[in-house]
Amino acid sequence: MADAAERLVNLALFLASRRSFVTAEECRSAGLGYPDDQDTPTFLRMFERDKDALRAAGLVIGVGRDEEVEAYRLDAAATFARPVTLGAEELATLRAVAAALAGDPGFPFGADLTLALGKIGVRPDAGTVAVSDLGLDAGAPPSPLVASLAEAVRLRKIVAFDYTNSAGEIKHHSVEPYGLFFRDGWWYLSALDRDLAEVRTYHTGRIRDLETNPARPRTPDFERPGDFDIRNEERLPFQYGQDPFDAELRFAPDVAWRAARVSHDRGSLTTLPDGSALWRVEARNATALAGWIVAQGPGIYAVGPDSLVETLRVGLARVADLHA
Amino acid sequence: MPRRPDSATRARRLLVLLPLLTRGETHTVADLAAAVGGTAEEITGDLMTLTMCGVPPFSPFDLIDLEIDGDRVTVNMDLPAMDRALRLTGPEARALLGALDVAGHDSAAPVRRKLLAAAADDVSPEELERTLRAGAALEGVAALYSTLAAASEAHEKVRIVYLTGATGRISERVVHPWVLVDRLGTWYVVAFCEDAAEERVFRLDRIRSATPTGETFEPPSMPPHIGVTPSPGTLPVAEVVFAPGTTPPDAQAWPGAISELRADGSTLVKVPVQSVAWIARQVAAYLGAAEVTAPESVRTAVRELARHLARELA
Repeated sequence: MADAAERLVNLALFLASRRSFVTAEECRSAGLGYPDDQDTPTFLRMFERDKDALRAAGLVIGVGRDEEVEAYRLDAAATFARPVTLGAEELATLRAVAAALAGDPGFPFGADLTLALGKIGVRPDAGTVAVSDLGLDAGAPPSPLVASLAEAVRLRKIVAFDYTNSAGEIKHHSVEPYGLFFRDGWWYLSALDRDLAEVRTYHTGRIRDLETNPARPRTPDFERPGDFDIRNEERLPFQYGQDPFDAELRFAPDVAWRAARVSHDRGSLTTLPDGSALWRVEARNATALAGWIVAQGPGIYAVGPDSLVETLRVGLARVADLHA
Repeated sequence: MPRRPDSATRARRLLVLLPLLTRGETHTVADLAAAVGGTAEEITGDLMTLTMCGVPPFSPFDLIDLEIDGDRVTVNMDLPAMDRALRLTGPEARALLGALDVAGHDSAAPVRRKLLAAAADDVSPEELERTLRAGAALEGVAALYSTLAAASEAHEKVRIVYLTGATGRISERVVHPWVLVDRLGTWYVVAFCEDAAEERVFRLDRIRSATPTGETFEPPSMPPHIGVTPSPGTLPVAEVVFAPGTTPPDAQAWPGAISELRADGSTLVKVPVQSVAWIARQVAAYLGAAEVTAPESVRTAVRELARHLARELA
């Protein structure tokens, strides 16, 4: 009996070399590697699994009829890609990012990335030097878990898990996973909690015993809201809290260029006549915003509201007193 | 020992490998392994498998004819089929876009559209953009990344304008970009700085501009040290106490930090200090919920910084 990978390649070559529909029985009798002594139900189950494996590799297998029997044909137009033409810097970018990420266990899609680059003909160059550490330290992001969540997001399957909240309490959650984002070494899941009926953000490092709904694996369990966008869920550190307010921050002229970077496309930026930048942004935690201003470095100032300025003034006085 | 890939995974890799095998060409196993992933041993095994594959009636002329000689592979025939690259599947498109997220290329980047043109019809670019964000696309950083990656490949010197975060000093330097390093989602370039005449690490989001000079540099004869975090053993250590109820920074935020919960609920964090200005700003950002207990020089720096910022506020 042929090796299963050999049988799958033979089936792909057979389908690709035939212009007409072929039946399962024709595949079986073509010598592709299906066992001779296999009963028909067992063969059909194996044949179904093989078609699924080829579809997962990118083959689009159309289904039709040969007389009264279901038959199959490769849809060449939908299966094969047109060549992708990339510029020199784009190629350098992809080679660098591939070199960095393909071997980083903190990147949950490394194997898919390598195959994707193989398909579009971008080979990591030994001369390109880029490395990545998206979380190899203690408490590293659990990549297999993130990969499973990403698949549940893609296939819209309900997942359940135990979650340890910031107070150390462990609770079981059943959620509809909407999206994932990465920040500061951790992946976060944005999902509808089915018990609370609200969209929550979950730190994946606090998720244990993840289970994806095994029922009807090819059928989505839920509809994602049409206006959902993960970019709106990824908030800045001072945008978590109950009471929103509008804050204004000024960037001095020599660091005004940083405003566009640290704002993460949040709020609005205005260039003032003296060359400084004014950033208006929604905040929900004045203390967190005041601390963020200090941590970001020189040249960033709180303009308003007064309560923010006061929070910063009192906090800095406390720091000075504490270190007197 | 790494787990051997299952048959479906191997078949997937073999189908990516097939279009790379053009009649008359000779490849090294290492090149093919780099192109599709896997070890040289696995790829040699894959190639052996391919020599058993073909189309009916499976006569010698219908089998894939490869000559495998040590680490070299020569293709002796045209493939009977499957000689073009397959379109990207949903997981593959997701991986590519995720990688470009990490490199700072946001949804408007032309390279994303070009790559998605190779994706299967059932891959929705809009859905991918709305459901995955593997990195922050900071304004201008994608262009910096591309410039530095290309310069690193070509061994080309680059002139950068750089903001030193803790002090606010802006300087112009000519650097030899050796290696791009992503640590926890933040990109750095490890480079030889001509002005400092030594190796330095620069955060990409603090580089205002990067311009290739047209001059080349000799790459280092030894692999550069690619760490971007301080080596704890060689640096002075600051001790910082966090008030009860305050979440102290972990070793990701403060590299090398070691935390100890104390009986009164406070947390003592010992952190190696590469820059006094950096640790002073970090502690001051806690607005009184953190206190440096040693050394005195860092306490002084925190106090002076807080007073300076308070004066600016006034």
